[in-house]
Amino acid sequence: MTTLRINGKDQAVDVPAHTSLLAVLREDLALTGTRYGCGRGQCGACFVLADGRAVASCLLTVAQAEDLEITTIEGLADGERLHPVQQAFVDEDAMQCGYCTSGMIVSAVALLDGDPQPTEQAVREALAPNLCRCGVYGRAVRAVLRAAEAGR
Amino acid sequence: MIETPVERVERRIRIEDDGTVVALSGKVEFGQGLRTAFAQLVAEELDVPIAAVRVVLGDTALVPHDAGTVGSRSVAVDGLALRRAAARARALLVARAAARLGVAAATLATRDGAVVAPDGRTLGYPALLAEGGGLAGEVPADVPLKPVPAHGIVGHSQIRLDAHDIVTGRARYTADVRLPGLLFGQVLHPPVRGSALRALDDSRARAMPGVVAVVRDGDLVGVVAEREAQARNAVEALDADWAVPLPVERADVDIVMRDDPGVDEALAAAERVVEASYALPHISNAPIGPSAAVADVRDGAATVYAGTQRPFGLRAEVALALGLPEEAVRVIPQLPSGTYGRNSLGDAALEAARLSKAAGRPVLVQWTREEEFAIGPARPAASLQVSAALDADGRVGGWRYDETTSAHGFRGSTHLDPRTAPGSSGRNAIPPYAFAKAKVTLHIVPTPVRTASFRSLAAAENVFAIESFMDELAARAQVDPLAFRLRHVEDARLRHALEAVAARAGWGGALAAGRGRGIACTLYHGTYVAQVAEVSVAANGLVRLERFWCAVDPGLVVNPDGVRNQVEGGIQQSASWTLLEELRHREGRITTTGWDAYPIATFRDAPREIVVDVIGDPTQPSTGVGEPGMVPVAAAIANAVFAACGARVREVPITAKRVRAALGR
Repeated sequence: MTTLRINGKDQAVDVPAHTSLLAVLREDLALTGTRYGCGRGQCGACFVLADGRAVASCLLTVAQAEDLEITTIEGLADGERLHPVQQAFVDEDAMQCGYCTSGMIVSAVALLDGDPQPTEQAVREALAPNLCRCGVYGRAVRAVLRAAEAGR
Repeated sequence: MIETPVERVERRIRIEDDGTVVALSGKVEFGQGLRTAFAQLVAEELDVPIAAVRVVLGDTALVPHDAGTVGSRSVAVDGLALRRAAARARALLVARAAARLGVAAATLATRDGAVVAPDGRTLGYPALLAEGGGLAGEVPADVPLKPVPAHGIVGHSQIRLDAHDIVTGRARYTADVRLPGLLFGQVLHPPVRGSALRALDDSRARAMPGVVAVVRDGDLVGVVAEREAQARNAVEALDADWAVPLPVERADVDIVMRDDPGVDEALAAAERVVEASYALPHISNAPIGPSAAVADVRDGAATVYAGTQRPFGLRAEVALALGLPEEAVRVIPQLPSGTYGRNSLGDAALEAARLSKAAGRPVLVQWTREEEFAIGPARPAASLQVSAALDADGRVGGWRYDETTSAHGFRGSTHLDPRTAPGSSGRNAIPPYAFAKAKVTLHIVPTPVRTASFRSLAAAENVFAIESFMDELAARAQVDPLAFRLRHVEDARLRHALEAVAARAGWGGALAAGRGRGIACTLYHGTYVAQVAEVSVAANGLVRLERFWCAVDPGLVVNPDGVRNQVEGGIQQSASWTLLEELRHREGRITTTGWDAYPIATFRDAPREIVVDVIGDPTQPSTGVGEPGMVPVAAAIANAVFAACGARVREVPITAKRVRAALGR
């Protein structure tokens, strides 16, 4: 039995120790907002916050995740009130299919927590690990800068 | 322009007791925003708030039959059908209210889900339906539509209806479907597609933890397990012996698409003949989420949750694979990862259905990234040869164009219908210019690579060649590329788009050293697009897309920001194809397994600015925007590279090496 700290709650799961955090989120905890893209940490679709940093949950085992405070896309909003980054993505319509959106938002939250007023270049660098095939990069940059502006 | 089938109100529109308007369409949403656009169209005609409209898409048990969500035609065709059905529904409601109130229908207005009389009496739609039953009947061909100046919803930007669910992680993509008793399936794919299974040793796999069943169904071999990783591990423990099929010999097919008299003579007699060849490689649809599906096959019935662009086509394929009548199969489309044509194939859905049938429980199959690259479909490669005569006053006097590619379309390279090939493999091979003498021939050759529908089919390939070549002709004629194009344009809307983008970009203005701009345009399924790219070329030949401008005229615009988003994204994706992408294979076997070997554009590569001006003519019918924006991008970039450094690169991707080679370095 492993106890994980996810979205502010302790969650006990009974899985093999080498099981990926991504698999536990999706298969055991029904937190399907974190998505599989490549299984190699190359696309960003499965990013979660681990102690405030954006990490690929496909590369993290439950054993490694046990000591970390994990926040998934489902843990960002305060009830019905969206996190400012989520709200900014809505306002800029910074999405198309939305499959990569969770990961992008996680990267943006991690960035703004450490650098509340980033330059455009810093936004591009911070989100560079998040691939988007629909091509909403320009809108996503605007959304992150908008969220930063809202946090001023 | 587009034929409208006889439509009936009840096939399209239903109003529920609480006033909710249910709109039914066989199209599916995968990020294009059509759910939102459809809701806007229906809300507009019925005078209800957009929140009162529930759009049901693609569920084969609920919606009218549809051939597929392809070709950027959803708003043009189904949007119009919904709009007309909603207008008819409103007319029926007004007629009922007129009878009830004893006044002339012409005196009645509709507002906020109710019919309103001049004296202020109001009858809500549900009250009008309580007596006399639901709305039904044919939609007359001449059903009056709300005039454009009266529009309060259509033509105004609307945040996409699924935005909140997407940013909170609540949106359910195909692989997010959770059913009671759900198991996870994985399939052992043979090294060569179509191989026959000679022998299978599954003893190790059967003994592995979590394995519920090892399934052998003809040549399909898979494992169903409690967890996905368990299924994957067990598949890797299978020992299979495959008989590799011999390559199928298929003949080339030549189709003449246009053959004006005197082309050869014009070319033979011309003082100046310009010739060039262009080439494009195989590329991957490369969805971020690999193919996925959930199937629940029990008691002689099947329910399939899939990210499909052809729910009714998939229903027939699943029925055939399971030996069930079509009526026993229900396909419920889920939001998929964007797949850009790839989901015209049922891949994971057919596998999930067969595994579920064997296991007797619902099964989720999601391919791995490696499988998505290795056995997912690709865009056909293409080569294009163009010859043109330039007459003394710098006009095209004869045009000969030969396109060589493979079969495009949802059935992929193994099926070719010569009747439809000009519209698929030959899409946009005929230029939008007023050339008096043109000959356009399509040569279709077999490919060992598995191909499928790909966003814009062959249009992006043809327009890369045509619009690059127009630039080469302009250079030879010593005429500005914009002016040279305008010289050959008779269509007023194409002219307007070219002039609009040139004005917006400041075409002809001074640029920083090492920068260049290129222009290109197209007419794609009724949508006019003109674009200007600005690139920088580094000393080592590396091209960076810096800025981009686009003017797009898709007729009447439903959701202006939705149009901009689609076109911006199309430009970004097409720039990625143009500068980075090539799917490598050895005799049909894809050698790419991950994003490291198939880089696509990232946040770092995205241009500083993509400006999309929507110049839709509201008096013209709506046309699509899902594909047209990407079509001229490669040529705009190639032409910009030429303007920046003099390198004419005729093969994409436009790599630093190719730029250096074009410069003789």
